[in-house]
Amino acid sequence: MQRREFLARSFAIGGAALVGAGTLGAQQAGQGDTVATGQNGTSNLFDMNQGAARTVTRPPKPGARPSMDSDTRDALEHQIRCQCGCTLDVYTCRTTDFSCQVSPAMHRDVMALVEGGYSAQEILDAFVDTYGERALMAPKKEGFNWAGYLVPFGALAAGAAAVLVVLRGMQRGSTPAEVPVDGVTVPPLGTADELAKLNDAIRNDD
Amino acid sequence: MILVGELALWVALLMAAWAATTSFAGGALGREDLVASGRRGLYATTAMMVLASIGLWTALLTHDFSLKYVASNTSANMPKVYVFAAFWGGQAGSMLFWGLILSVYSAIAIRFVPLKSRDLVPWACGTLAVILVFFIATVCFKANPYDRLSFVPADGRGMNPQLQNPGMAIHPPNLYLGYVATSIPFAFAIAALVTRRLDAEWLGIVRRWSLLSWFFLTVGITLGMWWAYVELGWSGYWAWDPVENASLLPWLTGTAFLHSIMIQEKRGMLRKWNVVLVVTTFLLAIFGTFITRSGIIESVHSFAQSPVGSWFATFFLTATGVTIYFVATRLKDLEAKATLESMVSREAAFLYNNVVLVGIAFSVLWGTLFPILSEWVRGSKITVGPPFFNTVNVPLGLLLLGLTGVGPLIAWRKASTSNLKRQFAVPAAAGLLVGIVLFVLGMRDGYALVAYTLAGFVAATIVQEFQKGISARRNIHGESFPVAVVRLVGRNRRRYGGYIVHAGIVVLFAAFAGLAFKKDHDVQLRAGETKELVDPLGHRWRFVSQGVSTSETLNRFVTAVGLEVFRDGVPQGILTSEKRQYFDSNKQPQFEPSTEVGIRPSAKMDLYVVLAGVRDETAELRISFNPLVVWVWIGGMIMAVGGLIVMWPQAERRRAPSGYVATLEPKRELVATS
Repeated sequence: MQRREFLARSFAIGGAALVGAGTLGAQQAGQGDTVATGQNGTSNLFDMNQGAARTVTRPPKPGARPSMDSDTRDALEHQIRCQCGCTLDVYTCRTTDFSCQVSPAMHRDVMALVEGGYSAQEILDAFVDTYGERALMAPKKEGFNWAGYLVPFGALAAGAAAVLVVLRGMQRGSTPAEVPVDGVTVPPLGTADELAKLNDAIRNDD
Repeated sequence: MILVGELALWVALLMAAWAATTSFAGGALGREDLVASGRRGLYATTAMMVLASIGLWTALLTHDFSLKYVASNTSANMPKVYVFAAFWGGQAGSMLFWGLILSVYSAIAIRFVPLKSRDLVPWACGTLAVILVFFIATVCFKANPYDRLSFVPADGRGMNPQLQNPGMAIHPPNLYLGYVATSIPFAFAIAALVTRRLDAEWLGIVRRWSLLSWFFLTVGITLGMWWAYVELGWSGYWAWDPVENASLLPWLTGTAFLHSIMIQEKRGMLRKWNVVLVVTTFLLAIFGTFITRSGIIESVHSFAQSPVGSWFATFFLTATGVTIYFVATRLKDLEAKATLESMVSREAAFLYNNVVLVGIAFSVLWGTLFPILSEWVRGSKITVGPPFFNTVNVPLGLLLLGLTGVGPLIAWRKASTSNLKRQFAVPAAAGLLVGIVLFVLGMRDGYALVAYTLAGFVAATIVQEFQKGISARRNIHGESFPVAVVRLVGRNRRRYGGYIVHAGIVVLFAAFAGLAFKKDHDVQLRAGETKELVDPLGHRWRFVSQGVSTSETLNRFVTAVGLEVFRDGVPQGILTSEKRQYFDSNKQPQFEPSTEVGIRPSAKMDLYVVLAGVRDETAELRISFNPLVVWVWIGGMIMAVGGLIVMWPQAERRRAPSGYVATLEPKRELVATS
């Protein structure tokens, strides 16, 4: 590829990307040229949002009995994200950091829904209704989210297919390195032309 | 000294700009005097960066709270070691630290370029100087640790207590040493592309620095996992947080490169692919820094809403564009010098391994960025947490583990059926035996079974390779077993060091699979109360609460609970877990309370106790049984040792030429030597 051709092809892509970077820069300029707003005004580890908890309630089902045992409930809480900013699931957060007021509140909601006879899926749906899909530790396997789950495998399959095609092409392009003569394999010394030149050189030297 | 440091930072910027300009000009015009000037400019930049760093360390250690950075990251009552480590604890300091490492690396790399690669110096030096200009300019204009406050506070705000941990003091520098080392191969790749000298010479330099980067990233990632496990208290060591992912990305592509470079060295193949891997590794290090410092992705320990994000984005895009240009215009120079003879050969196996490594890197990057993509496409925020990453990456990881064992067993060029049978029979049988035994013993977790089966297979391949080499040495040289082992490894460091790294990988995967059997328990105990639990191996544990106590130390209030622990009725001692509330010099609380985990480690299983809090004199605890966690640290150490062996310089040995060599001697005869 020549320089002019390359520049022509990349102009549109590069331009668009730099516009994107410029937009990000403008957004950040709007935030002010100050040091980051982390817990200590510098970096590292999140600011805990103690007011992030909302109430997730449903009326108990008629004749409700607890829908699961405590182990299953704990497993369910591993699928629900604490909203305090810690990026942990509800179970892990509430059993790790007692100063978080969000995960215990979410835990109480889970317990009430379990007592109300709701299934694991119904409880997850209730949390999604209240907090949005970010209440889940992983996106639901539906719609556009399938791209999240399948693209890595698709890319790997495409990469593997591309490698196989390239390897087959390289294999086809290769010439046999060895020529069997009377059952004995003799490596070629060079092309016919080169061998003739070598013979001439030896004869002339004699 | 502080003022000298501040001035040195600005001089460093000028020196780096000078080095870049003169190096490129010298390279383009063929002027050796300009090239030499550029080189000296680079050394001067290094000296200035050292001075700038000494200045900041002086400010930190003398508690000069007139500097915003010092006041924001330290306090007068912090232990000295963490005051020292605060240099890289915040945004501005870490950027300066990055620049310091880069300048030192650059000076070393340029100073010790082999004579035969001198043509690369102007362009490599210029490229490194440009990267330095970017980092130093970012420090000067966007994240300057020498920024001053309009007043001098009596004390600083201190460091987040969770960062006041030995692991955190040494984990970030290791990661930075690894990230920054990717710059050197990148610079030499650009130099080779510019000069079209894409032979094997530049690979020697690139390989050494890639190994160094890989080594530090391995150590840094392992230390990071250890820190997360002992300090954060969530009973795990890897949360697929964007910052963790950012460190994994260059490690994965760097690992792929260290495999594929062997194919170029031995067969002259994969020349385009190797250039792409070298530059991708560097670009991923920059991109990882961008996503964690720009605030565009939510992370538990990112530098939220930092002003350097747009600068990193611009630098990343520019570097990517320049790289694509040079690769695209030099494709003909990068044609392979040999052809593949068989799909069943070591070079093909290494390529499959590369596809999986890069595939995992892509899936990690994809998962990290998917929340942004989803928000763009659907307008709603989602979380991509461990369940997602485990779903996608566990199968890919197992595939990689399998290939770890396959590659070394296949012959170069073309493997015959008899070769395959001979090499694979024992390892395959060993792997299957491990799987069957575990299944009979009751293991039913599918992924864990596959992981241990593959681990058995790979471990057997390593043992087989060592056994062959040792037997050969003992037969030929009559050496004792230990001497044969030492000489085998010492004289084939790349090969056997690599096997040791593979052994570390096996240990790591075995440890990861152990998490499938982890057990957590919520426990509430008042003083004197007892709780009995059964661990995954069937042992009965009894915990007797010794009650909750409070105390005050240098810079914190401590609430602690002690548990007397018995396993199968046998006393195991007292295990303590703490909640700490740090305070400043005025005894004002700083930060949220942090957790000090009680851990009783063992080879089979860690007992992990977290004091979540205290309510009505009742300790709220989480007691976890974490199988095989110790082996994560051991696996990381084995990998690091293997990396050191591979890296260790080996004196070139003069060898008599082997095979048939046709020479024209004075007697004019063809001479055959063997």
